[in-house]
Amino acid sequence: MKKNILRALLLFAVLIILWIQWNWKHLEAFPSIISSFYSKEFCSCYYVMKQSEEQCHNFARQWVPISQFGNDIEKKEVTVSGLGRTNKSIFLNEKQGCVLKND
Amino acid sequence: MQKIFTCFAFLLILQCGKDLTPYGGAPEVSTLPTRFKPDWPTLEWKETKPESVGVSGDKLKLVESYAFERTGDDTDRKGKRTDGLVIIRNGKIILEKYARNFTKDTLHLTWSVSKSIIQTLYGISIKNDILKLDDPGYYHFEALGKDEAHKKITIRHLLNMSSGLEAEEGYESGPLKSSVIAMLYTRGRKDMATFCSSLPIRSEPGTQVYYSSCDTNILSAILKNVYGKDAYNDLPFKQLFEPLGIKNATFEQDASGTFVGSSYLYLTARDLAKIGYLYLNDGIWDSKRLLPEGWVNFTMTPAPGYKTTPYSIDLPTDNYTSHWYANTGVPERGVPEPWPDAPKDTFAASGHWGQMLFVIPSLDIVIVRYGDDREKAFNKNEFLKLVKESVIR
Repeated sequence: MKKNILRALLLFAVLIILWIQWNWKHLEAFPSIISSFYSKEFCSCYYVMKQSEEQCHNFARQWVPISQFGNDIEKKEVTVSGLGRTNKSIFLNEKQGCVLKND
Repeated sequence: MQKIFTCFAFLLILQCGKDLTPYGGAPEVSTLPTRFKPDWPTLEWKETKPESVGVSGDKLKLVESYAFERTGDDTDRKGKRTDGLVIIRNGKIILEKYARNFTKDTLHLTWSVSKSIIQTLYGISIKNDILKLDDPGYYHFEALGKDEAHKKITIRHLLNMSSGLEAEEGYESGPLKSSVIAMLYTRGRKDMATFCSSLPIRSEPGTQVYYSSCDTNILSAILKNVYGKDAYNDLPFKQLFEPLGIKNATFEQDASGTFVGSSYLYLTARDLAKIGYLYLNDGIWDSKRLLPEGWVNFTMTPAPGYKTTPYSIDLPTDNYTSHWYANTGVPERGVPEPWPDAPKDTFAASGHWGQMLFVIPSLDIVIVRYGDDREKAFNKNEFLKLVKESVIR
């Protein structure tokens, strides 16, 4: 009986590992979504749609909270951290709006 | 845990129904009757009382309250959240209202309405003989020529959302494998069109409609290569916005300098209504033809690939045409009209979180509705029904 349970657990673990390996490119990129979405959509909300900071936070927030936020009004840059990743968006000009900066 | 199960169920569903026979043939195209309008809103829209253009002011109040009535807590982003509403009849504004700090001068994110404006740029480019509807995509965009299967994808297929590229659309529902999220925010964001072109082929190009932001951004990159970077940067502004008198617009690009045609065009509600008015007038603006003859009809014709697309629950809600939506239904597939209480000839551009542009030629009406709906609280059919009922003659 005990053996069967162990076997089932082992099989389950192997399946999980295979799944992780199979989906690695998706899993690896996933944590970045939270901060990149937040910084890009906040940047556009604030500098393109010209809404208030409060409104733009309300616009950009997701179900996973962020850990750090900075809006540099002089440089027109929005930096956000979440799930261990940091992303920055920058406002270029009236025609081109905001773009995510690449490291 | 439930989310993981939902993801698995979703993945299983996606694997179903891959047996297909190819469908070919061009959509039927015929010219709409030419309209004559003495007033063009190039400088500014004229405003008038609803009654003076045959619309009941009282009934129009019901349209307004449907759009702006709060049905949930705003701090929780619940219910309908309308940011702006503009209704045009006979070329004049009969209703205009804004909420939640938006005004007639504020730019608003249009999300996927941007796709329909990429289609407009294709209309203009084809009219000017810059490229052809049935050109294979790889003629103009090398990344799409990686193998024989990818080489079969034409501009028409991309416009009909029938490229057959294995994209996974879906924002919040399945974030892990969503190619639209990867494209906009992570793995694809540096060069979205190249990322999209690298996706494998899931079905013969032209045979299966699958709504995909990737198809649009490939179209956007094709334009960049055809025009060259400088002319491309000016393309929407000089060739479309300037003739229509749209002075204020933002169209964001990815890090490689390609317009994010799938998602990131910002316009005021009044200016988006001008795009609708161009289509209402069969692509003619102030007696100058900007879109080719038959283009608006092409816009109203469901993608041919619908006839061979496996049935899914989303199929009846969409009625995708060539980067717009139509109220035709697809009788061959038993797909009913998406908005049964609206006139049959209603067609639309539509975006995430409640962005809408409706064109109703039979009523001479254009509607722009902006919002930030995080729930499916705004019912398009109910809304359009109220609009139709407000028209007296």
